Amino acid sequence: MTNEVKERNWEPKIVAFVCNWCTYVGADAAGTSRMQYAPNVRIIRFPCTGRIDPLFIIRAFQHGVDGVIVSGCHPGDCHYVSGNLLARRRWIVFRKFMDFLGLDLRRLHFAWVSATEGAKWAQLVNEIVEEVRQAGPAPTWAMPTDGATKIEAPLPEIGLPPSPPPELTLQIRELARQLLGTGEVGVVVGYEKATGAREGAATPTFVNKPEDADRLIFNEHCVHNLAVYLTNPLVKKFGKVGIVAKGCDIRSIVGLIQENQIKREDVSIIGVVCNGVVVNGRLADKCVACPVKVPHIYDHLVGDPSSVQATTSGHPLDAQIAYLESLSPEERWNYWMPQFARCIRCYACRAVCPLCYCQPCIAEKHRPQWIPTSPHPQGNLAWNIVRAWHLAGRCVGCGECTRVCPVGIRLDLLNRKLAIEVERAFDYRPGFDPSAPTPLSTHRPDDKADFIR
Amino acid sequence: MLRKRLTSENLNKWVDSLIASGLRVVAPVREGGLTLFRPITSSTQIAADYTKTDLPFKEWLFPPTEVILHYRIVDGEPVLEDPEVDATKTVALFLRPCDAAAIPILDSVFGGDYEDEFYTTRRRNLTVVGLSCTEPQPECFCTAVGLSPTSEMGSDILLTPVGDEFLVEVLTEKGEQLVNQQPDLFADAGNLTKEQVTEQAIAKMMRKESLPTFADTYADLFEHPIWEEIARKCLGCGICAYSCPTCHCYDIVDEATLFEGVRCRNWDCCGFALFTLHASGHNPRPTQAHRYRQRVLHKFAYFLQTYGQNMCVGCGRCVIKCPVGMDIYEVVRKIVQACERVGV
Repeated sequence: MTNEVKERNWEPKIVAFVCNWCTYVGADAAGTSRMQYAPNVRIIRFPCTGRIDPLFIIRAFQHGVDGVIVSGCHPGDCHYVSGNLLARRRWIVFRKFMDFLGLDLRRLHFAWVSATEGAKWAQLVNEIVEEVRQAGPAPTWAMPTDGATKIEAPLPEIGLPPSPPPELTLQIRELARQLLGTGEVGVVVGYEKATGAREGAATPTFVNKPEDADRLIFNEHCVHNLAVYLTNPLVKKFGKVGIVAKGCDIRSIVGLIQENQIKREDVSIIGVVCNGVVVNGRLADKCVACPVKVPHIYDHLVGDPSSVQATTSGHPLDAQIAYLESLSPEERWNYWMPQFARCIRCYACRAVCPLCYCQPCIAEKHRPQWIPTSPHPQGNLAWNIVRAWHLAGRCVGCGECTRVCPVGIRLDLLNRKLAIEVERAFDYRPGFDPSAPTPLSTHRPDDKADFIR
Repeated sequence: MLRKRLTSENLNKWVDSLIASGLRVVAPVREGGLTLFRPITSSTQIAADYTKTDLPFKEWLFPPTEVILHYRIVDGEPVLEDPEVDATKTVALFLRPCDAAAIPILDSVFGGDYEDEFYTTRRRNLTVVGLSCTEPQPECFCTAVGLSPTSEMGSDILLTPVGDEFLVEVLTEKGEQLVNQQPDLFADAGNLTKEQVTEQAIAKMMRKESLPTFADTYADLFEHPIWEEIARKCLGCGICAYSCPTCHCYDIVDEATLFEGVRCRNWDCCGFALFTLHASGHNPRPTQAHRYRQRVLHKFAYFLQTYGQNMCVGCGRCVIKCPVGMDIYEVVRKIVQACERVGV
């Protein structure tokens, strides 16, 4: 629908995703009691709020609704015991995420409405319709016509990290020789010197014979997160995998173990003490406040823990996130939409992420096509939201997605924002405890969600 | 071929006059940290110190997404509508010889036996002003694939910086028309030549050695185990295909609601696992090794067989943008070496 048609006789169009057992019956009760309330809401019935994927909320906005209500049973009353408690966790994080992207929160509402609360439902709808009316027609998911917002909070000047001493390279080679020679592992995934046009850089390599171990190196250019290869069939065919891993890479490995994608005993972790890697000619942002310069989980440790430089500052992205949060939702929207409009859907962000292992990816599913494959602004917005959302509470901040994006989208800001919210709400940081449940697959009775009516 | 000379000042005047005459002028522009071909409204917007754009020129002839069909359901019957194809008269400025050479390659595909009007409409209305290279980058290897830093292929006009002015080679009628918009800005070339500039540029190139092609030999190296060794680190993203000036594979999708919809053509990449996935679930290219082999052979064998030209222009974008540093120049040499070792 065009904006002109919308504005002439515009009435808010609102979709409500409700659970079958409580809110749906409550809404029905409002009807049978002949309560009068605003007719702007179309209800979609689900078995449980736990079934409501934020993807549905995204799709609703994509298809032009002006507001969304999500409502279900009160905590403790879920027909399936804990579906709504899992949903609550999702809503806590998703709502903050939408706010960060620039969605006007007057358009997104969450509620507990029981089967007997017909009056509450009617009042809720009336209130929400008015709020959405105040917010106006939802912006179409297209490029803003005025100039893009810029972040007026530059990243701090960071120099270069120190070069790791050559002993690390020699130790790694010796370990590889041993592990391959004894047959403990079938392949060692590590780094070798890049040749040709990328001279000076490092590149991933796979050593499956002890005599080839001298190819392996370790230096400040070893940026790649090699954990991505642990789910690669061309690597797994060798059997147990030895992997040269920095602390950030090990956090990804922990994620893969938590999610049962690999078994701890199928990998031999060669943990490397790391003072940081170089991305775009400077120390990578992720390294500035790195908590795992000395690897926290490993089978073999390479390097001297006393050589690490103490972390003296917070995460460099936090100031940029704070800047974006200080702006109005429209200004934030005007920042993100031009970013996503540049996306060419190369999926390098997905390909390089160790935790994007789903086959098929949600973007590849087509009955129905949840995420439009076309690289137009609407399709790109849907993809980028879902990518970041699916990594909420799982992304360890290795920064690879941002490094590889050919059009420079600030995926690191999205990932970091979600990580901050998950830590704030659930006191959880991914990649430390392989036996911990993942934050969105569990719940606590005291999860705080003041925004739920 | 007409040969003229042009000062830098007159070049800018000429560009501004082209813009003023109502032509859409597309040039390399800095945008959000990237260098991209974008329409300009003044010669001052052209990116200074421009080496190569981040994305290739092809998006102006073959957009990343394009509607090829509209439909509506009217009284229960589908009504089909062709979209209007962009026929704006366009001048593309400062394509490097590698990027310009990509255009005749795409012409073979889209303007061949079956004319693709979405492409040919744009192509017909496009005039290309190429800009020779004086500073090849480490990833460049145009000479290895039969081109050069001052190659004329694909340009209607080729500008070559010689000293502090430009040699202007007017190669086609379209180019002549463009020069004739402001003939007084151009002087006769006299004895200005680009030979020295060409020699110097080639001397700076790091990777000059000619790359073999596989049009006649690929059957023998098809099953060689080297493919798996090379492709193991490939992550199967689409950066190489999307940053390549000649890659042209696409996917067709329908986006529709109950009563209306569009059929879109979108860029696709042979590196994606989905690329050859059949509805049955069978995939004739089941591993990244199969898919990477396809990429290399399409570039260096199949296209040559079908169209008589090498499909790679040696721009090196795939090399610098690959997340894991796959280098097609090194890959091709490695394959040949491996095959030679076993007498293939």
